[in-house]
Amino acid sequence: MSFRHLDRFAQVRSPVTRVPAAGRVFGTVVLALATATLPAGAWVQLGLLAAVSLALLAIAHVPLRVALARLAWPLGLVLLASLALLVVMPGEPLARLGPVAVTAQGADRFAMVMGRAMVALLPAVLLVSTTSFPELLQGLRELRVPVAVATALGLAYRLLYLTVDELERLQRAARSRHAGGGVTRRRHLITAIAAATLGRAFVRAERTHAAMLARGFRGTLPLLHAPVWTYRAVLNVAAVSILVLAVAASARLP
Amino acid sequence: MAHIPDGFLSMPVIAGTATASLAALATAARRSRAALGEREGPVLGAVTAFVFAAQMLNFPLGIGASAHLLGGALVAVLLGPWAGMLVLFAVLLVQALLFQDGGIAALGANTLNVAVLGVGSAGVTYRIGRAGLGETRGATVVAAGLAAWISTAIVGLAVAAELVLSGLVPLQPALLLVGGGHVLIGIAEAVLTGLLVDFVFRTRPALLARRTPAARGDRIRVVALAGAVVATVLVAVGFASSQPDVLETALARLASPVGSGLTAAPFAEYQSPVGGLWVAGAVGVLAAFLVAWGLTIAVQRRRP
Repeated sequence: MSFRHLDRFAQVRSPVTRVPAAGRVFGTVVLALATATLPAGAWVQLGLLAAVSLALLAIAHVPLRVALARLAWPLGLVLLASLALLVVMPGEPLARLGPVAVTAQGADRFAMVMGRAMVALLPAVLLVSTTSFPELLQGLRELRVPVAVATALGLAYRLLYLTVDELERLQRAARSRHAGGGVTRRRHLITAIAAATLGRAFVRAERTHAAMLARGFRGTLPLLHAPVWTYRAVLNVAAVSILVLAVAASARLP
Repeated sequence: MAHIPDGFLSMPVIAGTATASLAALATAARRSRAALGEREGPVLGAVTAFVFAAQMLNFPLGIGASAHLLGGALVAVLLGPWAGMLVLFAVLLVQALLFQDGGIAALGANTLNVAVLGVGSAGVTYRIGRAGLGETRGATVVAAGLAAWISTAIVGLAVAAELVLSGLVPLQPALLLVGGGHVLIGIAEAVLTGLLVDFVFRTRPALLARRTPAARGDRIRVVALAGAVVATVLVAVGFASSQPDVLETALARLASPVGSGLTAAPFAEYQSPVGGLWVAGAVGVLAAFLVAWGLTIAVQRRRP
């Protein structure tokens, strides 16, 4: 198991990947916040923010079909979550679906939520496509995410493959012995596998801790490469952030 | 919908939940460090990896349905609420940034719901359960299951309250669909957490024994905090509702004068003279917490 397929554009040199990870995370948060907080009816501003995200994807050399393919799953979840809006909003009925009615107000709200969600997902897709996990971790540490969380994420990233592989080995062993026939037996089997993995995770944590202490660990993981902020990178992040905030602010002008 | 996507919440709700989450995480980081010391990084890393992996397992529930573990109550039972909050925050952060499961702008709200309220309420319920039921295997499993159910329901209520406060949906459908849905999902989470804790109790009891039993003072604090949480939820739901409450309806039927100069409260109809609804809400939550905390101190002083 690996997340390598996610960041396959991280090695592609572009103005986006030349910005240190902290800048990319910051820009992503600004763009997502600006989009998510647009007031209802701000379709022009939503279109402008979508254009900014699409332009950044093009600058980073991330093909549109890759971005759209990565949007499909999260957007499907958003669609499922927001379908109820069509019928729970009181208002003028547009169409009747059995016992419930789709209202005009519900359709408006549904369209706005779906639009905002889709545009807010674009910068997240850009970030994950252009940033490797170690870079992302470094960016989070620069942005002052609690040390415990950053350390836990770093170690979890290393241990996750081992844990999942272990889980799969235990499941394969159970399958090869035809264990877990029937719902009740299967439930007990899965519980036993999960609990065994949990126990091994704790044992591994203790072993890892001992090994880290032997290598001089003092509570925080050292950074291997200090990020290099160039004037151009600072200017790029500032320009995009100001543009995005100006578009978002224009939606609230009287 | 425990992981709220971007586009559902309003700016004040995003800002308020992010601020509350930051404050809670700062406290959690300090308390977790005090509890786990230098082991903190490896232990949190291993448990975070386990929660990710365990969420990939589908547990059959019967009648063709299956569920996966959410893990909030389990980490609260194994690591305590403070370290558990950090683990769930790490999981939420990766889910939002890498898998777009839950919005980036909504990360504060998701952290507040799942990591802070979910894990916190599970920790509180587990402690109360163990203090009340005892520390036998059965009591531990029941307390863990109850903690999982209550925490999932509280997560659902919090999500519903945030959607209502954002003006996205009316109160009743939000409570019914999101809150009610989580009450049902909570049953599956309770069963899974109970089964896992039972297995851990039988095979590796040392993992559970790390948790120190609640002292008398802790129990009172826990009850006070639980009261504050309930009061917070009530205030949140109360000021979100534009419908007349039961008392107002009854008074209206009796044609009694409500809201005259003599009976008007400083925050009547949840409106503050300065700042409106949000200031009234914040003052209400703060007042509920201070009353609960004051009661705690008063009761503790009376005890020998």
